Amino acid sequence: MSTLPMVKTVFKATPHLAILGTSLFWMYLTLGWRVRKARTAFEKQLVSQGMSKEDAKRLGACYNDLKNNITNMLRRQVAGNFERS
Amino acid sequence: MVDDERKDKRMEPENIKEILSVVSSEVPALIKSILASVFSEEAGRSMGKAAAAYYKELKNGGMPEQVAVKMTEDYMRTFTSIGDMLRSGGMGRHGERHGEDIGGEIEKRVRERLDERLNRDTDKEREGEEEQKE
Repeated sequence: MSTLPMVKTVFKATPHLAILGTSLFWMYLTLGWRVRKARTAFEKQLVSQGMSKEDAKRLGACYNDLKNNITNMLRRQVAGNFERS
Repeated sequence: MVDDERKDKRMEPENIKEILSVVSSEVPALIKSILASVFSEEAGRSMGKAAAAYYKELKNGGMPEQVAVKMTEDYMRTFTSIGDMLRSGGMGRHGERHGEDIGGEIEKRVRERLDERLNRDTDKEREGEEEQKE
C-alpha cells in the first residue's frame, strides 16, 4: 500500500478506533461497579434464606475472583498481542 | 491475479472505514451483553436464588451448617470456573503447547516403565538360567 492511501485509511479509521477504545475503557471502568451490584444482590438472597452474613460474604467473593480472572485474561491477551506485533 | 485484485479492493480506505464502523459498534455491544449476563444486579439475584435454594435444601436434608456452606461454596466454584474456561479457550496456542508437553511427558514415562520391565524380565531370565546350570 502506498503512502497516500495509507494516510487516508488511518485518517478515516481514527474516529472509529477512538469510539471503540473509549467504549472498552468505559466498560473496564464500570466493571467494578457492576460486580459490586451483582455481589450485593447475591449476598442479600443468601442472607434472606438464613445464611450468616460472614458466610454470604465468603461466597460472594467468587464474583471478585471471576472478575479478576476475566481482567487478567484480557490483560494477558492484550500484552501477548503487543509482544507478537 | 484475481485474488490480489480482491485483496486490494478489501484494503481500500472506504472498505476499512466500513469494517471499522461495524466493529466499533458491534464489538462493545457484544462484550457489554456478555458482561451483563454475569455481572448485573439481575444475574446476581438469580444466582443468589439458585445458591440459596441449594443451601436450603441441604439444610432441610439434615446437613450440618458448616458442611452445607462448604458444599454451597463448591457449587459456586463451578461459576468461577467460567473464567478458567474462557482463559483456556482464549489461549488456544498455549493450550496446544501444554498438550504437547503432556504428550512428551507421557511418552517419557511409558519408555521408562518399559525399560524397567524389560530389565526386570532379562534379570529374571538370567537368574533362571543360572539356577538351571546349578
